[in-house]
Amino acid sequence: MRWVAGIKVSVHGKLLAGYLLVTLLVIGMGAMSLQTISKMSTQSQLLDEAHERVHWSQDIQHALAMQMNFTAMALLLRSETTVENILRENNRFNNTLARLEKAAQPEEVELIQRIRAAQGDAITTVADIANLIRDGKIADAMRLQQEKQYPLYRRIEEFVTQLVLRESNKMDQLRASVAAANRSTLILMAISAVALMLVALLLGFVISWSFILPVQKAHGFVSEVAKGNFTATINVPNRDEFGALAAHMNHMSQELQRLYEVQHRASQELQRLNERLQQASKAKSNFLANMSHELRTPMNAILGFVEMMLDEIYGEVPPQLREPLTDVQTNGKHLLRLINDVLDLSKIEAGRMELVLAEYSVQDVVEIIRTSLQSLALEKGLEFVAAVDDDIPLAFGDGKRITQCLMNLVGNALKFSKHGRVALAVEQQGKTLLYRVSDTGIGIPKDELENIFGEFQQVDTAITREFSGTGLGLNITKKFVEMHGGRIWVESELGVGSTFFFTVPLRVETSEVT
Amino acid sequence: MSGKTVLYVEDNEFNLKMVRQLLARTAYRLIEATDGELGVATALREIPDLILMDIQLPKLSGLDATRRLRADPKTAAIPIIVITSFALSGDDQKAKDAGATAYMAKPYSPRELLQMIRKLLPEQ
Repeated sequence: MRWVAGIKVSVHGKLLAGYLLVTLLVIGMGAMSLQTISKMSTQSQLLDEAHERVHWSQDIQHALAMQMNFTAMALLLRSETTVENILRENNRFNNTLARLEKAAQPEEVELIQRIRAAQGDAITTVADIANLIRDGKIADAMRLQQEKQYPLYRRIEEFVTQLVLRESNKMDQLRASVAAANRSTLILMAISAVALMLVALLLGFVISWSFILPVQKAHGFVSEVAKGNFTATINVPNRDEFGALAAHMNHMSQELQRLYEVQHRASQELQRLNERLQQASKAKSNFLANMSHELRTPMNAILGFVEMMLDEIYGEVPPQLREPLTDVQTNGKHLLRLINDVLDLSKIEAGRMELVLAEYSVQDVVEIIRTSLQSLALEKGLEFVAAVDDDIPLAFGDGKRITQCLMNLVGNALKFSKHGRVALAVEQQGKTLLYRVSDTGIGIPKDELENIFGEFQQVDTAITREFSGTGLGLNITKKFVEMHGGRIWVESELGVGSTFFFTVPLRVETSEVT
Repeated sequence: MSGKTVLYVEDNEFNLKMVRQLLARTAYRLIEATDGELGVATALREIPDLILMDIQLPKLSGLDATRRLRADPKTAAIPIIVITSFALSGDDQKAKDAGATAYMAKPYSPRELLQMIRKLLPEQ
């Protein structure tokens, strides 16, 4: 099989060669039987001929007997005319003998010539007998007949019998030879048929397995590659199409292995970079946590001492000092808000901001906003309305971040409105909470609406100075809303007012939080 | 001077000074420690009536110090106010988990801190 597989001939060529070989063997077998048939037919022709010669010999014997008979009749009847019958029989004898001679085997020719010679003598004797009868010398004729003609005929008879015997022997031999040829042909044909079958089977087996083996190996190889073993190789002895296919497959697995290694190196590189990035991110996160406290500790002292002064813990505050002390306090608080916002934003950007998920009451959140900002609204002479349905159930999310968002939005609304009203409303819409903060403030120009949630995006710096915002509140609010899986948007008309909307799920799915 | 004792564990001298001045006009007696380990040692030695614990301290963090005091039967029952970095960042939950009685976000208002101390530990 390996040998057949290794022959450098195409599959097509191998199949053709196999069929051709079997076909040639069949043709060979046919030729052999044709030859046998022709030999047998020759022998049977020889047999026919021998049979004919025997027939002729019997004819000759018959003619001879008739001659004897007519001679006897001529003697008995003393009739010369009977001699003519003898001559007629003699002619028949000679004709038949001539035919026999023509068909005779070389070894018989001598015997036939002796028969002819003897017959010649016998006819001369018959002529003599006829003459004696005509002359009335019957006794002489009878003697001649008795002494000469009869022995002659006996000799001829003997020769013919020998001839017949020879032919008979020959015929026996021929028959035996035909029978033997029959037998041997039968055996030969049987052996040939069996051999042919075996050759055909062997060829079929060898050729088909020389195809099946590489296919089986290819199957194993492809399974290995499919399992991810790209170092697998396929090794077939075939130098035909299967061999070419196997070579291509090996090339393919080498290429896959190369690609796999390239990709593996790339992914290792990526992993290393990722680890470094995580380390950097962790370092940044630690830095933020430390900074957060480090910045607040001095702020704590500044704001604390000012508050204690204003609370007159150190004694009475002279009226002219009260205003500058209050200015220090106001700016200190603004600086603190900035610090808080910058730190929140940094944490969000670093991906270190995590929501603290728990159940919270929407009503409580609204109440905190109302109590915290009521005084600011009163100071500015604004109407502040906070409305929330009592039947909104407990929500799940980061209540403090939601509070921070509303503090930013309501704080902005109060800051940017000089008169009129600020309203906060919460509605439940199915599984979503819709928060709405509307004001009667200065409004936002249309071309600024898109940028309003970006970083440091207060509409103009003069307003920033006047209203003293950090410029980070809306950006942080947007990010917290999105971390909850919600959405924020604004509708506004210049000089009429703005309404900010945001939605958050009533119950945040833990997996939704990013 | 049989006033009740308040221990303030804080490493910033100005904050210490501020609370010292805040409590100077009250009946409370203030003792101080400037790192976590000193804070634990002082608490075990003095057995104060209330502890103010800053969350970020040298040597031993305020949360770890709180856990140690809660684990010791001598100090387990003392009210502890943990001063957290920022009330909104989840520190309050960590403080509660460590065993804090209450927490106060920094920067705190001295007025509010005094209110909280008085609520947990009546002055008289």
